[in-house]
Amino acid sequence: MDCCGGTDEHEDDCTEVTVKEGIDAKTVEAAKALESENYSAGFSTAIDMEFSPKGLSEDTIRFISAKKEEPEWLLDWRLAAYRRWLTMEEPTWAKVRYEPIDYQAYYYYAAPKSGAKYESIDDVPKEILETYEKLGIPLREAEVLLGVEGAAETAAAAREAPRVAVDAVFDSVSVATTFRKELEKAGVIFMSISEAVREHPELVKKYLGTVVPQSDNFFATLNSAVFSDGTFVYVPKGVRCPMELSTYFRMNAENTGQFERTLIVCDEGAYVSYLEGCTAPMRDENQLHAAVVELVALDDAEIKYSTVQNWWPGDEDGKGGIYNFVTKRGDCRGARSKISWTQVETGSAVTWKYPSCILRGDDSVGEFYSIAVTNGRQQADTGTKMIHLGKRTKSRIISKGISAGKSDNTYRGLVSINKRAEKARNFTQCDSLLIGGRCGAHTVPYVENRRADAQLEHEATTTKLSEDQLFYARQRGLGEEQAVALLVNGFVREVLQELPMEFAVEAQKLLEVSLEGSVG
Amino acid sequence: MSTALRDLIANPNAAELELIARYGMLPEDARRERAFEAFAKGGLPHRRVEGWHWSDFKASLPVIETPAQPGTAQDPLPADDAVLFSFTPTGFTWAESLPEGIRVLAKPEAQAFGASEDMPLGALAAALAGGKTKPGTLMIEVTGQDLPRLHFRFSGAGEANFARVQIIVRPGAKLAVSESYLGGAGFTASLMEFSLQAGAECSRTVYQRTGKAEVLAATAAVQLDEGADYRQTTLAFGGKLTRLETRLTHQETGAKATLNAAYLCADGHHADITTEVRHGAPSCVTRQLTKGAVLDGGRGVYQGKFFVPRNVGQKTDADMQHNALLLEEGAEVFAKPELEIYADNVECAHGNTSGALDANQMFYMRQRGIAEEEARALLTEAFIAEALEEAGELEDVLRVQARAWLAR
Amino acid sequence: MLKIENLTATVGEAEEAKQIINGLTLEVPAGEVHAIMGPNGAGKSTLSYVLTGRSGYEVTGGSVTLNGEDILSMEPEERAAKGMFLSFQYPVEIPGVPVMTFVRTAMNSQRKLRGEDEISAPDFIKKSREIAKQLKLDAEMLKRPVNVGFSGGEKKRLEIYQMMMLEPNFLILDETDSGLDIDALKTVAEGVNAMRSPERGMLVITHYQRLLDYIKPDKVHVLSAGRIIKTGGADLAHRLEAEGYEGVVGEAV
Ligand SMILES: Nc1ncnc2c1ncn2[C@@H]1O[C@H](COP(=O)(O)OP(=O)(O)OP(=O)(O)O)[C@@H](O)[C@H]1O
Ligand SMILES: [Mg+2]
Repeated sequence: MDCCGGTDEHEDDCTEVTVKEGIDAKTVEAAKALESENYSAGFSTAIDMEFSPKGLSEDTIRFISAKKEEPEWLLDWRLAAYRRWLTMEEPTWAKVRYEPIDYQAYYYYAAPKSGAKYESIDDVPKEILETYEKLGIPLREAEVLLGVEGAAETAAAAREAPRVAVDAVFDSVSVATTFRKELEKAGVIFMSISEAVREHPELVKKYLGTVVPQSDNFFATLNSAVFSDGTFVYVPKGVRCPMELSTYFRMNAENTGQFERTLIVCDEGAYVSYLEGCTAPMRDENQLHAAVVELVALDDAEIKYSTVQNWWPGDEDGKGGIYNFVTKRGDCRGARSKISWTQVETGSAVTWKYPSCILRGDDSVGEFYSIAVTNGRQQADTGTKMIHLGKRTKSRIISKGISAGKSDNTYRGLVSINKRAEKARNFTQCDSLLIGGRCGAHTVPYVENRRADAQLEHEATTTKLSEDQLFYARQRGLGEEQAVALLVNGFVREVLQELPMEFAVEAQKLLEVSLEGSVG
Repeated sequence: MSTALRDLIANPNAAELELIARYGMLPEDARRERAFEAFAKGGLPHRRVEGWHWSDFKASLPVIETPAQPGTAQDPLPADDAVLFSFTPTGFTWAESLPEGIRVLAKPEAQAFGASEDMPLGALAAALAGGKTKPGTLMIEVTGQDLPRLHFRFSGAGEANFARVQIIVRPGAKLAVSESYLGGAGFTASLMEFSLQAGAECSRTVYQRTGKAEVLAATAAVQLDEGADYRQTTLAFGGKLTRLETRLTHQETGAKATLNAAYLCADGHHADITTEVRHGAPSCVTRQLTKGAVLDGGRGVYQGKFFVPRNVGQKTDADMQHNALLLEEGAEVFAKPELEIYADNVECAHGNTSGALDANQMFYMRQRGIAEEEARALLTEAFIAEALEEAGELEDVLRVQARAWLAR
Repeated sequence: MLKIENLTATVGEAEEAKQIINGLTLEVPAGEVHAIMGPNGAGKSTLSYVLTGRSGYEVTGGSVTLNGEDILSMEPEERAAKGMFLSFQYPVEIPGVPVMTFVRTAMNSQRKLRGEDEISAPDFIKKSREIAKQLKLDAEMLKRPVNVGFSGGEKKRLEIYQMMMLEPNFLILDETDSGLDIDALKTVAEGVNAMRSPERGMLVITHYQRLLDYIKPDKVHVLSAGRIIKTGGADLAHRLEAEGYEGVVGEAV
C-alpha cells in the first residue's frame, strides 16, 4: 500500500507503574521481571565465525557472491539492486519508531568458519547441532523418524506419521537440510537457495524477483543486494509434498544482519505446507533482519506458509532486539490456486511485515491468519495486502492483535479490487485486545473497491480483556495468569486452528510465555 | 515573503501560485501568516500524502478558474425561517437583525487556528478568508435555546470562495446550523469551527451539490466540552473533487457526538467524507454511520479515524460504520476506517462493507411484484436514509434530494 | 392451473452448480390444495424458488406453465403479477422500508403490470386494517421495516398478511407453519382457508401433519431427491407422521 507520511501522534509515556486495585504486588513484581527471563531462546552459541568486511559496499556484495560461488548474472543482479537501494529512502509510514539504522555498522555475511556447506549432517559442528537441539529443532532425521524407518511416501501416510523436513539457517548460511533424499524421490526440490542457484539455476532465474521485484521497497531492495541464504522449494506438477517443510532461522553472531531469501514454487496442481521458525540470542544491540519471501502458485496449486516468529524482542527497557523488516508476498499466478499465510508473531523489537497475496489467477484464493503479540516495548506494524486481479477471486483475513506492557501493535491491511476482478469477495476480521493501559492497538485498513459485483466485508473491534470473564474464570479456581492465558487462547483460537498441529502447540506455549506477567 | 513561500511548495502548479499571489494581496497579519505557512508546507495535498491518497487536490486543481459550466443546484435547505449567511466569490451578506441569543462579530483579522498542520485546506481557508467584502473570521456567539437555525450558503460563480466561521455555543445553549455548498466557484475552501461549551447542543446539517468542474474542501473543527451533544448529518453528491472533513475532539468528560453522512455520486463526481474523532476525555461517546451509493463514473471516499489517547480516553464508547453500494460497474469506493487506541478500558468497533444490493432482498421484493428498477431504488433509498435520520427537521428535505437523485 | 413437467434444475454458480430437481412432474388444478412433504434437503424450497424465478436457480430441462402460459422465461415480478406468491421459509429483512410502503408498492407494481389502476390510499388502508385484524397483527407492526426485528412467528404471519393483501391466484407456502405457536397456526390457517376458491391453486410445503388438519389438502406428494416419489390423499400425511418416510415409501428415501 502507499501509506506515506503517517502522522504519528504518539503520547509520551511518562507515567509510573500504577498498581491496579485488587492485584497484589507479587503480580506486579512478576510483570517487571518478565521479559528476559522468559526468553528461553536467548542464549548464544560460541563458535568460530567468518565475517564479510563490516559495512555495505559493492565490495561486500562481491565478497558475498564470491563466497557463494555465484554465477555472473546473480552478482550483476545483486549489484543492480544495490545501486538502486542507494537512491531509495527508508519508509516512515508504519506506526513504528526506532533509532536510525546505521547500515555500515552491520556485518552482511557471517558463517561458521569450518565452511559454508557440510557434506553430511555429521560434518555440522557440534555446537550448531546443540543449538538447534536446545531450540527443540530436529536436524537428525532419525530423531524425527521416531523409528518409522522408510515411512510410506504417500501424502496420506505422511499425515498419519507427521514428519518435518528441516532446512536450518545459521546466520548467513544453511547448515543442514534434512530428508533431502526422500523428497527427491517425490520430485520435490528442497535446499538452500545458494545450492539451488548452483544446481537449478534455470528455476531460480525464472522465478527469483518475479513476485517481489528488486525495486519493490527499501528493505526488499537491500535484501536483493545482500541476501545470504534461505530456502528454495520447488514442487513439481501434481505432487503433493509428502511432508511438511520447514526452515529454522537462527541469528547468532553479533552485529550481523540476516537477509535470507526464500523462494517457493508450486507447479500446477501441487501442494506444499511450509513452516518457518525464527529465534535469536539476547543481545544489547539491535540486529537487522530483512528477509524476502516469494511464493508462486501455478494453476490449481496450493501453498500453505506458516511462521512462528520469536526473534529476541529486546529487554523490558527496549534495549536490543531484532528489527524485523520483512517482505513476504505470494503470487497466485494460476487459476484456482491458493496461498494461505498463517503467522504467530511474538518476537522482535520492531516488526514491519505484510505477507500478501496477488490474486492473479481466476478463482484463486488468498488467506491471511495472524496473531501478533506485543509486550514490553515491542512495536509491530503488520498485516496483509490482498490484490484481487482475477475473476471470482476470494480472500479472507483474520487478524488478532494482543498488546501488553508498553508496546504498540498495528494491523495495516489493503484489500484492493481491480476493475477486472469480477465477483471478487473479501472478508476481514480484525480484533485487538489490550492488556493494561500503557499499550496501543491500532487498525488501519485500506479497502479499495472498483467492482459493483464485489462483496467486501470488514469488521474490527478493540476491547480490553473482559473483567467479567476474568472474574468468572477465577471464581472457578483458575489463577490470574492461567485465566488470562485461557481467555487469550480463546481470542486467537480461529488463527491457531490454521497452524499445523505440531506448530499450534508450540505457538500456544509461546503465547503464554509472551504474555506472562502482563496482567497488573 | 511570497518568494519564500513559493520555495516552501515543491513544484508549485498554477493553482498554488495563484493561492500564493492571493495571500500576498491580503493585509499583513501574523495569524494569517501562520495559517498560510501551515498550508504552504505541503502545498495542495496530493496522493503521496497519507490521508489524501484517494483525493488528490494537486492533481484536481491545476489552475483556479471560473468553471465553464458551473453547477446550477438550487439550495434545497429552506432559509425563510433561518438566519442566512451567504458567501460568494465576490462578497458576503448576512442578516442585519439577529434574534436575541445570537451575537455576530465580523472580524477583518484572522484568529489563531490550532492544529492547522493537520488540516492544510482548513488552514488555507483561514489564511485566505476575508478581504474587502468578507470578514477574516466571522465569529458567532450563541447563548439562547429557542433560536432560529443559522444557515450558511456557499454559492455564486467565480474563481474561488474562501470562508471561515467560528461558532461558540455557550453553556447550555442550543443551536441548529445548516450549510449548503452549491458550487459555482472553481475552488471553495471553508473552515467552520464549533466550540460547544458544557451542556451545549448543536446539530449541523451539511448539503453539498456542485457541478462536475468544482473543487471543494469544507473543513470543520469541533470541540466538545463536558456533556456537550453534537449531531452532524451530511448529504454529499461530490464534484470534480469535494472533501467534507470533520475533526472532532471530545475534550471533557461525557460529551457525545453523532457523525452521519451519505454520499451519492456518479459520472465524474468524486465525494470524500473524512472524519477524525479524538477521545481526549473519559466516558465520551461517538456514533458514526456513513452510507454511500455510487454509479458509473462516481468515486466515493470514506476515511474515518478514532483516536483514543493514553490515560485520558478511558471508557470511550465509539462505533463507526461505513456501508457502500456500488450500483453499477464503473463505480469506485475507497474506504479507510481506522482505529488508533492507547487506552485499555474502551469499546471501539468499526465495520465496513461495500458491494451490490443484497440479492435476497432484491428477490423478495421482486417476488412480491415490484419491478427490478423500482426495487433497487426503494432499497437504495432505505439504505441511504438511515444515515439521514438524525437531521431533525431537515431529514425530509435531504431524503427528497436523495430520492430524486436515485430516480434520475 | 400449475403444470410442472419433467423439471430439472441446478443450484449454484457455473462450476459449483448442483442438480437438485431431478425430473419432477406435478399438476395442481385450479381450486385444489396440494401438500408437499419430504425430508430435509429434498429440494422443496429449491422447487419454490425455481417456480418463482430466483437467480442462481437454473432450469436445465422440462417446463412449467401457469394456466397454460410458460412462466419460466418470466422475470420474478412478472410471475408475481400473474399471481404467483411465495410465502418464504425464511422471510427476508428489509431495513428502512416500512411494511405498508412495501406492500403498497408491490400491489401497485403488480396492478401496473396487469394494466390496472393503482389502489387509492384510503382503500388500501381499509383493506390493510381488516386483514391485520383478521390475523391479529398489531397495527404498529405494519409501520416497522419489513421483517426487521420480527420474531419467527411474526414473520410468518406477515407473509400471510402480504398474501391476503395481494390476493394472488397461486400460492406456495414453504413451511409457513414452522415457528408458529398453536393459536397463530390456527389464525394463519384460517387466513389461508379464506383464500381457497375455485380459481386458486395452492402448494403447501410442510413437515407436519398438523397444518394439514387445518388446511385440508386434496393431494399429498412426497418429494425426495428432487422428484415426486409418491402421491396420495390426505391420509398419506397421517401415515407419514405415524410411520416416517422409510416406513411409507421404503428404501427410496
Ligand atoms: N445455493 C446453494 N448452493 C449449493 N447447494 C444448495 C444451494 N441451495 C440449496 N442447496 C442444496 O440443495 C438441497 C435442497 O435444498 P432445499 O432448501 O431445497 O431443501 P428442502 O427440501 O427445502 O429442505 P428443508 O426441509 O430442510 O427446508 C440441499 O442439499 C441444499 O444444501
Ligand atoms: Mg426448505
